[in-house]
Amino acid sequence: MKRAAAVLAALVIVVLILAPLRLNGYAINLLYITVLSIGLAYGWNIISGYAGYFSFGQIAFFGVGAYATGLLVADLHWFWMPAAFAGGVLACALAIPLGYVMLRLRGPFFAMGMFGMAQMVRVLVTAIPATGSGSGLFLPPGSGITEVYYWTLAICAGAIALTIWIDRSAFGLRLQALREDEQVAGTLGVDTTRAKITAFALSALIPGLLGGGYALFLTYIEPDAVFSSRLDLQSIVMAILGGLGTVWGPLIGGLVMTQISEALWARFPQIYLMIFGGLLVALLIALPRGIVPAIADRFAARRNA
Amino acid sequence: MTEPLLAVDGVSIAFGGVQALSEVSLEVRDGEILALIGPNGAGKTTLFNVISGVLRPDAGDVRFAGRSIVGWAPHRIARAGVARTYQIVRPFGRLSVVDNVAVGALVHARTIERARNDARDVVGFVGLGAYADRPASSLTLTQRKRLEVARALALRPKLLLLDEVMAGLTPTEMDGMAEFVLHLSERGIAAVAGIEHVMRLVMRISHRIVVLDAGRRIAEGDPAAILTDPAVIEAYLGAPLGIGG
Ligand SMILES: Nc1ncnc2c1ncn2[C@@H]1O[C@H](COP(=O)(O)OP(=O)(O)OP(=O)(O)O)[C@@H](O)[C@H]1O
Ligand SMILES: [Mg+2]
Repeated sequence: MKRAAAVLAALVIVVLILAPLRLNGYAINLLYITVLSIGLAYGWNIISGYAGYFSFGQIAFFGVGAYATGLLVADLHWFWMPAAFAGGVLACALAIPLGYVMLRLRGPFFAMGMFGMAQMVRVLVTAIPATGSGSGLFLPPGSGITEVYYWTLAICAGAIALTIWIDRSAFGLRLQALREDEQVAGTLGVDTTRAKITAFALSALIPGLLGGGYALFLTYIEPDAVFSSRLDLQSIVMAILGGLGTVWGPLIGGLVMTQISEALWARFPQIYLMIFGGLLVALLIALPRGIVPAIADRFAARRNA
Repeated sequence: MTEPLLAVDGVSIAFGGVQALSEVSLEVRDGEILALIGPNGAGKTTLFNVISGVLRPDAGDVRFAGRSIVGWAPHRIARAGVARTYQIVRPFGRLSVVDNVAVGALVHARTIERARNDARDVVGFVGLGAYADRPASSLTLTQRKRLEVARALALRPKLLLLDEVMAGLTPTEMDGMAEFVLHLSERGIAAVAGIEHVMRLVMRISHRIVVLDAGRRIAEGDPAAILTDPAVIEAYLGAPLGIGG
C-alpha cells in the first residue's frame, strides 16, 4: 500500500516534469492552469481548512504577486524569477498587518470581510499610476510557458510539502484546535492570534508566488485577469470537494474537478457548465466532508470491522 | 504572611443590565481546595471566565503568584499555571482524544511527539486510555467531562478551576471525582471547584468554601461554619442543602 503509493507518486512527478517536452500548446496551458489552481487550493486550505477561517479574498494576494512581478519586470527590468519571488514575499508581508485586523472577525463576517478587503486591495493596486491603472500593464517577453509551468509546479510541490509538515506539526495541531474552538484553545495555552496570523501569512505567500508566474503567462495583466474571482472560487471548490483541512484534499479535488470539467466540455460544449454544476452539487451531497475524508472513513471502517 | 497563589480582589463585571459579579474577593493558597458554591446564575462561571482571561473585569484585580494577570491573554494565563475546565463540555470534536490533550501538553513538551506521549499518560490517568485514538466527538458525556479534566491537567497547572465537575455524573462517578480532586491537593495542585448543589461532596473535598449569590460573595469559611450560616441557608432556601447527591 505505502510502496504502491510511493511508486505512483514518483511516476506522477516524472510525468509532470517531462510534460512540457511532449505536450502541445493547448494541453500545456491546460496543465498549467490545473497545477496553478491546485496550488491556490493548497494556499487557501491552510487558513480556511486547517485554521477554519473561511476566506473569500485570498485572490488579493495572487493579484499583488502578479502586479509586483509585472512592475519589477517591466519597469525595473528584473529577471522574472527573483521578481516572482519578491511578489510572493510582498504578499506575505502584506498579510501580516491585514491578518491582524481581519482575523478579529469570525465566521461569515471574516468570509465577507475578506471579500471586501480583496476589492480594496484591487482598487489600491490599480490606483498606482505605474500599474497602468485600470488599463493594464504589458510585460516584456523573456519567459515562455515552460518556465512559468516549472515555476508553478515547484511552488505547488512546495505548498504540498508545507501542508504535509503542517499536518504533522505542533503548529498544525494548534491551528486545528483553534478551528474547533478558539476560546478553549486559548485557555489551553495556544497563542491563537499568533497561530492565525502565521497561517494567514502562509496562505498569502503561496498565491503571491503563483501570481508572478501568472503575470508572465498572460504577458499583459489587468485587474480582472489577476484578481480573478473565477480562479479564486475554482480553487476553493477544489479544496472543499477534496476535503477541507486534509493533506491530499486540494490535489484530489483539483484532479477530479479538472477531469470532469474537461470531459464535459469536450462532449457538451454548450451546456457543460450546467451539467458540471449539477454534478458538483451531487458530489458534495454524497460526500459532505469531501473525497479524502470519505475514503479515510471507508478504510477506518474496514480496519475496525 | 506569604502571598496567596490566587487573589481575586474586588472584581465586578456586568453584562448589559445584569451585574454578574459585584466586588467579589477570594484567595486560594498553594494546594488548597476551595469550593465555590451558589445557586444558578450566582456568577461562578463568570468568575472562572475572569480568572482565566476569557473576560476582562470592569473593576478589581486578579493576582496569580504575586502578579496581576488582568488583561493578559488567556494563553499567557494558562502558561503561567492556571488551567480550567468548561461547565458545558467543549471537546475539539474532530481531533482524537490524545490530540485534544496534546494541545495543552505542548506548553511544556518541546516536540509534538513528546506532547502526544505526555498526553497519553494523562489520558490513561483519567481512565480514557481505551479511547485515546478515537475522535473526541465519539465520547459520552461522562467521558467528555474527564477529557475536560485531562486537557486541563496536561498544562501541569498550579491552580485548576473546575466548573461544575459533578454536574451530570452518577453518584458513583461523583465519588470518583471527589477522590480525584483530593489527589490533586496531595500533589500540590490547588483547585477551585465550582459546585452547584451537591453539599455532601463539597463538605468532603473542600478545605474552605466561598458562597456566591447573585454576583455577591455572601459567605466564606470552613465547611462546618458555612452549613449553619443564615445567609447561606437563605440563598439556598428550597434547595436540598446538605442532602443533595
Ligand atoms: N456572556 C454573558 N452575557 C450576558 N449575560 C451573562 C453572560 N454570562 C453570564 N451572564 C449572566 O451572568 C449571571 C451569572 O452567570 P454565571 O453563568 O456566571 O452563573 P453560574 O453561577 O455559573 O450559574 P450556573 O449554576 O447556572 O452555572 C447570570 O445572570 C447570567 O445570565
Ligand atoms: Mg456556571
